[in-house]
Amino acid sequence: MADRSLDYCGLKCPYPILKLSALYPQFKQGEIIEVIADCPTFEKDIKAWASKLNKTILSIEKMGNKLKVTIRI
Amino acid sequence: MENHPCPYGGYLKCKNFFCEYGNALSEVLHYCCDVLEKIAQGDTSQKIDIVVERNAVQKLINSINKVSEELSEIIELTHELAIGICEHFDVLRRLQEGDFSATASEDSSVEVVRMLGQLINKQRDRFVEYINKIKEQHQELIQSYEQQKTIISSIGVAVIVVEEDMTIEYVNEEFESLTGYTKKEVEGKMKWTEFIAPEMLHKMIEYHKLRRINPSLAPRQYESKLKDRNGKIKDVLLNVEMLPYTKKSIASIIDISERKKIQEQLIHSQKMESLGFLSGRVAHEFNNILTAVLGFSGILYSKIEDPQLKNYVQKIIEASERARDLSKKLLLFSRKEESKEDIQEISLNKFLNEFSEFLKPVIGKDIELKINLPEEEIFYKIDRTHLEVIFMNLVTNARDAMPKGGELSICLKRVSIDAEYSYTHPLVMPGEYLLIILSDTGIGMDEQTKQKIFEPFFTTKPKGKGTGLGLSTVFGLVKKYNGHIHVYSEISKGTTFKIYLPIKETKLKHSIDKNALKGLETILIVDDDEQTRGYISSMLKDYGYKVYEAKDGQEALKIFERNKDQIALSLVDLIMPGIPGIEVMRQIKKIKPEAKVIIISGHPVKLKNIITVEKTISPEEILFKIRNMIDGKE
Repeated sequence: MADRSLDYCGLKCPYPILKLSALYPQFKQGEIIEVIADCPTFEKDIKAWASKLNKTILSIEKMGNKLKVTIRI
Repeated sequence: MENHPCPYGGYLKCKNFFCEYGNALSEVLHYCCDVLEKIAQGDTSQKIDIVVERNAVQKLINSINKVSEELSEIIELTHELAIGICEHFDVLRRLQEGDFSATASEDSSVEVVRMLGQLINKQRDRFVEYINKIKEQHQELIQSYEQQKTIISSIGVAVIVVEEDMTIEYVNEEFESLTGYTKKEVEGKMKWTEFIAPEMLHKMIEYHKLRRINPSLAPRQYESKLKDRNGKIKDVLLNVEMLPYTKKSIASIIDISERKKIQEQLIHSQKMESLGFLSGRVAHEFNNILTAVLGFSGILYSKIEDPQLKNYVQKIIEASERARDLSKKLLLFSRKEESKEDIQEISLNKFLNEFSEFLKPVIGKDIELKINLPEEEIFYKIDRTHLEVIFMNLVTNARDAMPKGGELSICLKRVSIDAEYSYTHPLVMPGEYLLIILSDTGIGMDEQTKQKIFEPFFTTKPKGKGTGLGLSTVFGLVKKYNGHIHVYSEISKGTTFKIYLPIKETKLKHSIDKNALKGLETILIVDDDEQTRGYISSMLKDYGYKVYEAKDGQEALKIFERNKDQIALSLVDLIMPGIPGIEVMRQIKKIKPEAKVIIISGHPVKLKNIITVEKTISPEEILFKIRNMIDGKE
């Protein structure tokens, strides 16, 4: 169960990761964040973001044309 | 899609309504639309691979493919930018939170992102440098603060910092001992006004306010009165300054109570000296006049026959004799008494025992007399009459101070005045004194009375009951023997007179039982002078002691090392060639810490915590010291 859920459906990349980054200071260490987006390049972006910021992607789930990514901060 | 040759060359505006390729073109366009939509969604992997003959359609396909390619590049750049911004954003966030291990990557393919990373890292390094510098300065400040704190606390003067509203912000240890309050009780809790004596309060508050308007408006240094925890008022000297950039002031406080007391003692002594001089002069002149009055009155008395006139002359003679007694007392006070003195060595123990019997009827039954005498008999060279005058006056005063009865105690002892006592009582020289203490439990007296009691003609007794010359006579007599008199008094509690008589010139003599000086212990004598060594040695042997002799420190230490269990005491000469006496004593104490040592010297010396004996004193005195030391009485 995620601590926080963010819905970025309808936003084109790289908006979802920019928005996620802007919210980052509010997150607590160890918090689990769930991000849902439908941009086709979101998977690539979120993987690059997690890798650069040293965060762990717990799961990637496809829901139709949407993608649900769970990350541990 | 297959090739569909069109006679019209594949133009879109085909006029041949029945052209079979018309539908195929429509399909191509639909396909193009689908691809364009996917590209618009960001899927730049889309590409149209078909080739159509119609130029316009082929151009459209080519353009779509070009848009896809270029858009792919733009999207790639945007993503690279976005990821770079996110990463740098995170690094800045970590830096802002104080994590200076955060490092921005400098490997982005986008130049501006790469440079931003470099800039962030440089900025971080600069920050770290500043912070380290600030930390260093902070550490230096802490050290400097600690050093200053130590200086302030060990300066030996009370120091306080007072805020504008008079709250005490800081006090040092000296202030704690001056006032009896702890740091915890004072700092931030008590006001400076709580420590000021009521009579000084108004002035101090005024100074406090004026100093904050302009420091030059209030004196920097002034005397005041401070109230301690027990309500005791102390005279203090204040030195006040404003703390720069604040409304706080710092004050150093020196307790000058002792200094004031000393000053008062000096002024009092000078006053008594002047009074003595004046009264001596007056009494002397007066005596001359009285001699004439008494002489001629005597002649007149013998020549007159008329009984009434004879009676008048008799009255003149009686009045003149009273006046002569008065002037005699004045001369005693001024220490110019011309009568012959009968100074003899008397046993003070014996004197007091006899005199107390005489005193009992004087003080009456309601007053209990307690005489406290030392075991050893004390002899002192003094005129017995003077001693009687001193005791008689003090005792009658004590009696009058206890109309409802009480306790009168007289104590006699030998005391040694050290330099420290002499410092606070500048009129008293260090040395050996005979101390006579006379205490009553009477009504006591206030400070003002205390200051005047030794002045001639000062009396608190009803008119006609006292001449006001009793205590001034005592004062004069004590001074005559180069002594000192101190008075302590508390209202309703009583009064104590302490008389110090020096025993330097008038040597104190103990009555010594020769048998009590004998002993069987072993004594080590260390003296480079063979005659002295031999003399002391034979004297000790005569009294039963066993003796080891050493001509210097080295020999002495060897003997002591071998016989430390037998040697009960060592007599060590102060000045010797080689190891000096004090060092020999130290070495002996190192071998046996409980070892008993007496330092002997050819001249009088005073050494702190060391028992010394002059070689010139009588053999009995030396033996007496040795015996007392071995028996643990010294």
